Amino acid sequence: MTEILRYSGLRKSVHGRLLFDIETLSIQARACIALSGRNGSGKSTLLRIIAGLEAPDRATVCYRGQEMSWRRASGRMRGDIIYLHQQPYLFDSSVTDNIAYGLRRRAMPLTEISGKVSEALEWAGIAHLQLRNARDLSGGERQRVAFARARILSPAILLLDEPTSNMDSESRNQAYRMIRRLKDEGVSIIVATHEYHTIAHLCDGHFSLQAGGLQPQPTEPAGGERKVIPYG
Amino acid sequence: MDSLSAATAESFHLLFSGDPELWIIIFTSFSVSLRAILIAVPVAFVVAFLMAHLRYPGRRAMIAGFSAMQSIPAVVIGLTVYLLLSRSGPLGDLKLLFTQTSMVIGQALLALPLLVALSHAAFQAADRRVWETSVTLGARPVRAFLTLVHEVRFGLIAALIAGFGRIIAEVGCSMMVGGNILGYTRNIPTAIALETTKGEFAQAIALGMVLLVMALLLNGMLAFFQGRGVMSS
Repeated sequence: MTEILRYSGLRKSVHGRLLFDIETLSIQARACIALSGRNGSGKSTLLRIIAGLEAPDRATVCYRGQEMSWRRASGRMRGDIIYLHQQPYLFDSSVTDNIAYGLRRRAMPLTEISGKVSEALEWAGIAHLQLRNARDLSGGERQRVAFARARILSPAILLLDEPTSNMDSESRNQAYRMIRRLKDEGVSIIVATHEYHTIAHLCDGHFSLQAGGLQPQPTEPAGGERKVIPYG
Repeated sequence: MDSLSAATAESFHLLFSGDPELWIIIFTSFSVSLRAILIAVPVAFVVAFLMAHLRYPGRRAMIAGFSAMQSIPAVVIGLTVYLLLSRSGPLGDLKLLFTQTSMVIGQALLALPLLVALSHAAFQAADRRVWETSVTLGARPVRAFLTLVHEVRFGLIAALIAGFGRIIAEVGCSMMVGGNILGYTRNIPTAIALETTKGEFAQAIALGMVLLVMALLLNGMLAFFQGRGVMSS
């Protein structure tokens, strides 16, 4: 598999307490990795650092084969590595405007944006909601808008922070199906979760943030065989 | 009582007959205050955003400073601008004293602390996910800032209306730096003050009604912009 992103010597402290110190973190193309850990272990912080939203204490980044500082990488990765909050934020505008947001930042012609948005609405099964204000949607519908809004940008890496927490079973299954389709389309995905077993069927690898380090964990494939995927 | 009734009737006549002197005063008032607010608003919004978004030494002191500056009396700001722009002042060579420009400067300075304090409250209450979502979807900082402005627009419109309300009705600063020159720097509050001292109530009442209607309209607009008036889910 091709490596898209590698962090080396990734260290982060919060209020003087070491959160994690990771020797190497490598993200491969088309892989779906679960990131588990207890509450407060730093899962969300790690995802936000990878997304370029929060600065680490120190880190060296190798992005698409080029070594650079985190600051430089965060500018380069904008729109290519997308982070979805545990409860995605939707702007106070229509579903269509929300989905088109990222494409408009790329100065794409309006006709092209319109076509891509229509396709994204169909993909997520929310075409009937396109004119609704995104704030008026249910939790599951919001999640679908957020997935469509991310997918339309064809990201290399999608970072999902507890994507199915506080969801009913139907919305959960909907989210799993969307993650599966994104993976099949070639998007690398990292899913932070404290319930690994719920997404094990989607994942190629599993790491756990423990005692400030990233520990590889056995995966649980459908056939029941346990395997350990090395990292770094 | 009769004279008051007569003055009120005369004030309506002045307003609806299109009295040029009265309407020039109204136009001057709006022209000066709108220019002042247009200058102060972008500065205030950017300063307020930076105070809410960044962590730097002295940030809390800066917030407290802007909050405290709201209580500076208009005449003190007028005096400061007067001293700066007077012939012997450091900016005397610009020859701006007793011009509309000097009134704009004074009113912009007067509105700034209030605008910063109120818009900071709006930015501070904003959801951090707005910024993060914009950035992760590819927005550059300026675009992410504009998205944030859109998301907290009701708070910012309230700040703008409060700021405009403060300067459109102030007398001290405009009187000192504008000089109350008829047809040039005489605005609604300075004209009301002058006409009242002269015992000419008709024009004062007419101008007072304009201010009152405007205040009601501005607050009505605020309620309209706030739309549904419900908490977001």
